[in-house]
Amino acid sequence: MKKIFLSTLFVASSIFASINIDSTYSTMGAVAKKIGGDLVKVTVLGSPKYDPHFIVPKPSLLAKLRKADLLIMNGGGLELGWLPPLLRSANNPKIVNGAKGLLDMSHYVNMIDVPKTVSRAFGDVHAQGNPHFSTDPHVVLTMAKAIKDKLVEIDPTHQQNYETNYQNFTNKWQEFLSKFDAKMQSCGTKKVVQYHELFNYFLTRYKIKSYGTVEPLPGIAPSSKHTLELIKTMKENGIKVILQDVYHEKKTAKFIANHTGARVAIIPHDMGADESETLEDFYNNIEQKICQ
Amino acid sequence: MKKSIIFSTMVISSLFADTSISQMKKELELQKANMQMLEQKIENLSKNQNSSVNKSASFSQKSYLPDIALILNMSAVHRDVKNSDFENFALPGFIDAGEAELPFNKDRGFNFNYAEVAMSSTVDPYFDAFAIFHLHPDEFEIEEAFIRTRALPNGFRLKAGKFRSAFGRLNEKHQHSWHFDSQAIIYKALFGPDMISDPGVQLQWVAPTDTYFMLGAEAFQGSNDRSFGDTQNNNLYVTYAKTSIDLSDELSMLTGVSYAQGKNNVNGSNPTKIYGFDLTARYQLGSYSAITWQSEYLKRDKDIKTRVDKQAGLYSELIYQYNNNYSMGLRYDAITKNETDLSTYAGIDTSGLKRYTAMVEYHPFPMSRIRLSYMHDKTKIINNQRKDINKVMLSINIAAGAHGAHNY
Repeated sequence: MKKIFLSTLFVASSIFASINIDSTYSTMGAVAKKIGGDLVKVTVLGSPKYDPHFIVPKPSLLAKLRKADLLIMNGGGLELGWLPPLLRSANNPKIVNGAKGLLDMSHYVNMIDVPKTVSRAFGDVHAQGNPHFSTDPHVVLTMAKAIKDKLVEIDPTHQQNYETNYQNFTNKWQEFLSKFDAKMQSCGTKKVVQYHELFNYFLTRYKIKSYGTVEPLPGIAPSSKHTLELIKTMKENGIKVILQDVYHEKKTAKFIANHTGARVAIIPHDMGADESETLEDFYNNIEQKICQ
Repeated sequence: MKKSIIFSTMVISSLFADTSISQMKKELELQKANMQMLEQKIENLSKNQNSSVNKSASFSQKSYLPDIALILNMSAVHRDVKNSDFENFALPGFIDAGEAELPFNKDRGFNFNYAEVAMSSTVDPYFDAFAIFHLHPDEFEIEEAFIRTRALPNGFRLKAGKFRSAFGRLNEKHQHSWHFDSQAIIYKALFGPDMISDPGVQLQWVAPTDTYFMLGAEAFQGSNDRSFGDTQNNNLYVTYAKTSIDLSDELSMLTGVSYAQGKNNVNGSNPTKIYGFDLTARYQLGSYSAITWQSEYLKRDKDIKTRVDKQAGLYSELIYQYNNNYSMGLRYDAITKNETDLSTYAGIDTSGLKRYTAMVEYHPFPMSRIRLSYMHDKTKIINNQRKDINKVMLSINIAAGAHGAHNY
């Protein structure tokens, strides 16, 4: 009896042998879980509480990378400050640059804000374009397709499962998008400023114009001169909403709000950065906070 | 295509007998206009396609250039000991007068410490290469140059070349990434400014466990004559184990034990054994703010035939990163054991060898750093007298170009 139990357990576990997926950020991780279902175990490396450029390269992340079959990264330079040294020391040939198990999402997304010239004189500019595409709910479809194709490539025996999950998920997501886009149609907010150019994909998608950033240059802390200029721009253009992320200091935005009568909207940049637990919640929260 | 659409529209419209002819005509006009717009679009697209034909130089290798970074380090120093006296300091039991190598911040006044050129590149699917050329004002040095595997299975990684040992915590890190400009006393005492850095090979293995666990073994020539120096053969072997746990999302810890065994060249060839223990804890207060506590204890048993010297020391540093721009830190250094022949210092108090360092640093951007530090040093003998040294220093470090991110 015992033996039978043990052997069935053994067989069972080999049937449900799962693919270990590491995702650098939470939104891509959530999409991977939708496509992989029970066949995958998803670990998110960078907590959405923190600035995605400055994830702490904790050695515990090495243990997670060591066991990964697939690493989904955002790309576009977003992980440049923390992922390369971890990848070098995790000693996992499956997920190094050039291996089948590395999926760089930026290769599948139409990158916007690609600079014509790049120099650090302009601050922390990403040569490949703005890497913060996760804020656009339409990009979820691009992510789903790329992840499905990758999973089929590295685990072809479960192709049917991945295709089915993909179909189900994209059908649901299309439904969500048509409702979401309709809601955005009636969004009253048409002009904003933001702390960092985190929300450009969302803003471009829904024709909301961003008039500037609280930081004078990407990655450079606010200066009084720049803040005063921004206040002037906001007054001239009647801008009433400041998009603030969860991780930067909030003092400057509050100061600007006090001088312009604008409202500070704290917008999640990634699923779970606020209280959102699902992809739907994440995008609905962005919509509510911008349009309220 | 055009014709069939027009035709079908005609058929459909003819079905609705009550539709007036003028309306039909209007619709047709509209469709024609639409069609023309589409044709124009297709034409534009095909034009664009033609212009994106690759016309790059036939033998261009630009995309294969290695990542190149330039690191510059300089300082202004105020110290209450003359340069000529300071150069001849002794650290009793470890460094005799005039023996010290002082590559960094040696002079009162201005120091240009180094310009470093770091290059790294993926060689092919199997190897990465890395080199750092350390240029003093009148010296060229290959500080590190090695190749590293990128495709070994089962968690193994092999490195070969001239490189810094991963012994302990500080040994592997370059000077510009230390939290203090001056080297920890125990490292300076046991290895000098070059640390354990030699031609050799390294094998590291990361365990496939949920908790990070890494084992490493290295073989070196052993040319560092502070502790080793018998280079008749590859005489230095280093091994270590490191592990890390996260006590919470915010609090992470890294700890390790290290062991080095080599041969010194004092009175022939005799064994030197060095034991190390390191512990780092980091508490994250936000994206840009953290408290880091890092400590190491090193102990050396150096057999020189006539006796076995037993010496040990430690450093402990606490760093508070306030935000993206400001950090501050305190460090305590001590020699805790000094069982050796101290007869040359007869009549001089050689106990209580300690040093205190404090620093505040400003980063205008992650690539640049200005650091102000104060040091009270009670480890030195100058002109046969125990002399406490006070030093104030302003240092500047920049890392320009494609400089890779640092480890934890």
